[in-house]
Amino acid sequence: MLEMRRAFFSKRALWVYLLALFPAVIFVGHGISVKMQRSEFAGKSVVSAAVLDRVTVGTLDTEVLAAAGQPLLDRSWERRDVKRRTLMYFDGSRRVWFEFENGALRDTRRRELSSMEEDRKIYAGMFQYFYLRLAVFFGCLGIFINLFRGEMIDKSLHFWFLAPVRREVLLLGKYCAGLIASAVIFGGGAVLSFGALLAYQTNADLQAYWQTDALYHGTWYVISAMLGCVGYGSVFLAAGLLLRNPIIPALVMLLWESINGFLPDLLQKLSVLHYLQSICPVPPPMDPNVPPLLRLVLAPAEPTSAWVAILGVLGVTALVLYVASRAVRRLEINYGTE
Amino acid sequence: MSDDLILFHNVSKFYGDVLGVNKVDLRIPSGITSLVGPNGSGKTTLMNLMSGLVHPGSGSITVRGVSPFVPEKLMRVLGYATQYDAAPRGVTGFGFVVAGLLLYGYPRPEAERRAAVAIETVSLSHAAERKIAAYSKGMRQRIRLAQAIAHEPAVLVLDEPLNGLDPLVRAETIALFRNYAAQGRHVILSSHVLQEVDVFSDQVILIANGMIVAEGEIRNVRDEIHEHPSQFLLHCQNPARVASMLFEQADVTEVKIAPEGRGVLVMTRHRDAFAAAVQRIALSGQEIDGVMPMDENVDALYEYLIGGGK
Repeated sequence: MLEMRRAFFSKRALWVYLLALFPAVIFVGHGISVKMQRSEFAGKSVVSAAVLDRVTVGTLDTEVLAAAGQPLLDRSWERRDVKRRTLMYFDGSRRVWFEFENGALRDTRRRELSSMEEDRKIYAGMFQYFYLRLAVFFGCLGIFINLFRGEMIDKSLHFWFLAPVRREVLLLGKYCAGLIASAVIFGGGAVLSFGALLAYQTNADLQAYWQTDALYHGTWYVISAMLGCVGYGSVFLAAGLLLRNPIIPALVMLLWESINGFLPDLLQKLSVLHYLQSICPVPPPMDPNVPPLLRLVLAPAEPTSAWVAILGVLGVTALVLYVASRAVRRLEINYGTE
Repeated sequence: MSDDLILFHNVSKFYGDVLGVNKVDLRIPSGITSLVGPNGSGKTTLMNLMSGLVHPGSGSITVRGVSPFVPEKLMRVLGYATQYDAAPRGVTGFGFVVAGLLLYGYPRPEAERRAAVAIETVSLSHAAERKIAAYSKGMRQRIRLAQAIAHEPAVLVLDEPLNGLDPLVRAETIALFRNYAAQGRHVILSSHVLQEVDVFSDQVILIANGMIVAEGEIRNVRDEIHEHPSQFLLHCQNPARVASMLFEQADVTEVKIAPEGRGVLVMTRHRDAFAAAVQRIALSGQEIDGVMPMDENVDALYEYLIGGGK
């Protein structure tokens, strides 16, 4: 209880909460923006999507005005003897911008007020690139590395070592306390951000998603966040026992997880992130313009099946905890050198 | 037999290149045992070794038959009040002691009852519900002592337990140690306030530079140091005459007339010969009112054995 209280309520925990809640805050903000745009366009004139889709490159602006009527936005300007004009229409769900040069259509841009498909991809990208790689990673670093190293610095670890408890049991107890705290914080963060993603969708989109994949996706996002806590937690707990400076294991682990894509299959399976990405329900979007090297780093390795991935994380965790249990038996109270 | 002893067998401990203790052999019986030595001499290392907080580089230790490598057994018989001032953040004194007892597996009501008794024993009941962070140094000392005694261990290890205590609480604490020792338990404590341990210790262990320089009852330790002259004060009516006779009849190193002129200060390496000489002088008609040993305390030993280094 003391451990959990400290993990949940210490001053150090504040930035862990910020990391966990950041995606939810972003999606809540995006949802508010989408709703404001919807209400803004609710009373605007709507042009048939078929009419707008028939407009092709080279069509004159006067022809577009004749076919589609008065636009929601009509902006003209001149630069280096080229007359430019932008006309914007709304077809009920999309905004369409026609870009003219010297009166002829050069380009058309279409953007939905909100697209659930697009938002789900953005969420998947945010979840894998930010939440798992950074938020859960650094959050677990903050929580688990302090379970032993923090108490060594606070000169309070002897309190636990003077209890009539096997050191291995003490290690497991501390790990469980950190795991419960981190799983609640980051599992909760995943629930909130996924909820924020759903909160601003249209009823039709929401109903369709709910009847198909919503529960499945949400469950696996939460499971992968919690499994991240299981895996990273064990690694950082062990690092806190074996090393004095938490920056070193953090950088090594971050590097290891980042170069995972370059490694042979067997070594890829020693990465927590590999298994977490394998059970993420939606693959993250990959911009075709991403440089090949960065693409290799960001691209997940050949995914493993969900149950193998879960067993893989648990296996890596068991291995690391075994090493940590050997280390904790040898650990001495020597505050003078801290 | 070894189940009643704390045994160190050829124990050495180094912190990297720094010596903690070196080749320590000890047999510590029950009763009050004081570890005495200058700062950095290895007192805390010895205590940490017997409580398993540090591990010996070589040699072996048993505490009433239990190895310090088995904390689940050792901590059932041992309570350790460390010198470390920190406690888990945000806890009250009562909560601190209860938390320790819960780790011992006591049900909460029993843990709370024992905690209340232990806190009462160290006279801290009035501050039990205050956070430890707000405690004075002496109060922290006492709450650590309360936690160490709360499960009524057979071995009580206390690192400088009298530091920061006011005279009244100090006297109560010493009475507590005596009470514990009278029940056949071990009370191991360290102190650099020599007069304190001299008064109530059953045995002392003198340690310097990580090595045991003497151990045993204060009188016996003193007897073992034959080459160190003993100092006595003879109260007599005619100090000059007695001094002269002592020089003639006993192998004395030094004789001085006491400052007030009512006695003689004598230093001798041969206590038996000195005692026989005093008897002869008294029988010869010289009036001798009393003989007092002047250095049968830890200070004298300490200064002699450790070279006065404090």
